[in-house]
Amino acid sequence: MNPGIDLQQRFIETLMDLGLTPGVAKTIWLPIPMLLMIIGATVGVLVSVWLERKISAAAQQRIGPEFIGPLGILAPVADGIKLVFKEDVVPAKTDPWLFTLGPILVVIPVFFSYLIVPFGQNLLITDLGIGIFFWIALSSIAPIGLLMAGYSSNNKYSLIGGLRAAAQSISYELPLALAVLAVVMMSNSLSTLDIVHQQTGYGLLGWNVWRQPIGFLLFWIAALAECERLPFDLPEAEEELVAGYQTEYAGMKFALFYLGSYVNLVLSSLMVAVLYFGGWDLPVPTGLIASWMHVDPNNAIFELTTAGLGLVMTLLKAYFFLFLAILVRWTVPRVRIDQLLNFGWKFLLPVGLVNLLLTAGLKLSFPFAFGG
Amino acid sequence: MLKFLNKVTEYGKESLQSARYIGQGLAVTFDHMKRRPITVQYPYEKLIPSERFRGRIHFEFDKCISCEVCVRVCPINLPVVDWEFNKEIKKKQLKHYSIDFGVCIFCANCVEYCPTNCLSVTEEYELSTFDRHELNFDSVAMGRLPYKVTQDPMVTPIREFAYLPAGELEGHTVSHTAPRAGETPAEIVARSQPKTASASTQAASEEDKA
Amino acid sequence: MNLAEGVRLVSLIILSVMMLGTALGVVLFENIVYSAFTLGGVFISISGLYILLNADFVSAAQILIYVGAVNVLILFAIMLVNKQEDFEVLPRRWIRKVSTAFVSLALFALLATMVLQTNWPVNPSKQPPASSVLAIGIHFFTDYLLPFELASILLLMALVGAVVIARRENIVGEETAIVSEEPPHIFELPERPREPIS
Repeated sequence: MNPGIDLQQRFIETLMDLGLTPGVAKTIWLPIPMLLMIIGATVGVLVSVWLERKISAAAQQRIGPEFIGPLGILAPVADGIKLVFKEDVVPAKTDPWLFTLGPILVVIPVFFSYLIVPFGQNLLITDLGIGIFFWIALSSIAPIGLLMAGYSSNNKYSLIGGLRAAAQSISYELPLALAVLAVVMMSNSLSTLDIVHQQTGYGLLGWNVWRQPIGFLLFWIAALAECERLPFDLPEAEEELVAGYQTEYAGMKFALFYLGSYVNLVLSSLMVAVLYFGGWDLPVPTGLIASWMHVDPNNAIFELTTAGLGLVMTLLKAYFFLFLAILVRWTVPRVRIDQLLNFGWKFLLPVGLVNLLLTAGLKLSFPFAFGG
Repeated sequence: MLKFLNKVTEYGKESLQSARYIGQGLAVTFDHMKRRPITVQYPYEKLIPSERFRGRIHFEFDKCISCEVCVRVCPINLPVVDWEFNKEIKKKQLKHYSIDFGVCIFCANCVEYCPTNCLSVTEEYELSTFDRHELNFDSVAMGRLPYKVTQDPMVTPIREFAYLPAGELEGHTVSHTAPRAGETPAEIVARSQPKTASASTQAASEEDKA
Repeated sequence: MNLAEGVRLVSLIILSVMMLGTALGVVLFENIVYSAFTLGGVFISISGLYILLNADFVSAAQILIYVGAVNVLILFAIMLVNKQEDFEVLPRRWIRKVSTAFVSLALFALLATMVLQTNWPVNPSKQPPASSVLAIGIHFFTDYLLPFELASILLLMALVGAVVIARRENIVGEETAIVSEEPPHIFELPERPREPIS
């Protein structure tokens, strides 16, 4: 495996050439990837909001946003600006501290999870040893924020919405973790980089989805439930609960919830791409492309192109799943709360356990294909 | 053991079945994405109101005999008929007539019962104002004829589904002058009448088409 | 002192203050919901301390289990048992408070002396393991095998018990239809008979 392009090294070396000490150069480098990631995540949210509106419109034979910028592409920006300038209403008899803390606690863990999302060989912030487990652990903080928001709103719909959200995210975390565990078992590592590396080399055929079809479905369903997307959007079921835990929120705090839910959706789509669809891996192995084009695989320009293509591939795969999520939203009706919990505990959990067992058995019997 | 396996296979079959149903649903949703949007982009495109559309009511001052039938048949006695008995000609003389379209429900009962046909419905439906009192139309306002959608150069007229040519499903793709499916009432009349008397009705139907 | 050590020291101070503050909050808040939420803060700061000690897996597990499961469960219990009850002011409540404070302080003093007097084997030259997950796994399957297996059997028992209770199908609303000599026990719902799987 070639090491690819090391951005950090290059950047620091460039700064040191300009006459800075290594310590200063490193300090300058430190915040850049994080800032880039926050900006990237926010832009990703804007794009996904626009896609959501456009695709929803298309699925219902409407046009959707059209006049705000070309093809209505500035509509989410207008939404955001509107929400920022709205009055920050704190209703009477709420608990102002918890009311403010709730949305913050929901948003921060989601942004933190972007630390481990790899967009390329060296295009990730940190290669944590616990990798994917970090994401699962962080996503379990969000229910606290939801409960906080639901409780402090002093509104029974909010409270029920918060409780439902918490119940839902605890029960769907288990199948999610089991599906991830099967993948981890095959790649012998929790690190997202290693998970992708294990899938590279054979192009399309090497991706985990062929080895883990059940795990993939399980993961996707559980991820939809974690993001509170439509077949499972009980916490904000508008017919029953107005808007669930968001009922009393307005302005910037509501925007935080909104942002959090979309960032989470994009994150989940990215995770599906990374875990089951080979992350930045191209559908055709890069070695093969190089031999077709008679280029040396270690050629700098070729490397740069494949790295860029890898970034595009990751985003394309992720946005394909986002598209699927939006399509599912307009296809499947909402489930009832007892159906939701039954589905999670009595169907997904046993299936996840069986899938884990199967993976372990296959790994022992076919170590070459299942990462012995 | 066999019983247990049977149960498991049945369960598996049911799960597969439900997964297939969801797949079918997704296919339907996906199919809708390639269809043309049916949105009529209102200020630029307008639907041609149907023939029996009951819009704002038109009033002809000179035909009115102040009989107040319209007031009696109105569900809420809405029309205001202000008349005076003129002793010289021994007739009621109309001074003012008005209907408040902010209250009117557009049932067109008044039109139905008007003995002199001085009331008629138009196809005007754009009645939004900043002040609801502006909707209280007097006889002058009611005497105005609305702009026809087909004659407005700013507007692309679009036909409603029922008035499209045979086999067409989309108003956007069809010219609004293309003949519609089936025959117009005038054509039916022309066909059913004997050939000799058809000249005048033919002319009428031509006029209707235009 | 270089950058890494400075960051480490600052975060140690912040995390410790946060942990102490939230822990005091758990004990001192009158409102039980505040106590539960600050308990979450305690768990999160503890996991931050684990990260400072190079135990990344343990810190993630701490968040996952204590914040994601235990604390949420506590909050659930508090919010679902929404019993509005005004406490009567006890006449000599200060005795209870003072005695609690005394016991806690004594316990603190005991632990503090223990901590100060123990000769901790600090070995700063020892490198942390490359992968803490690997190290934990090796320990689980060698010298801590018995406790690990016992814990897993305990959890399995809990899981099976939960499944048995969850899969029970109660007949709701048909109590009146059952005609019997003696009235059925109040705390039991009649169960739908299931054919045993053989």
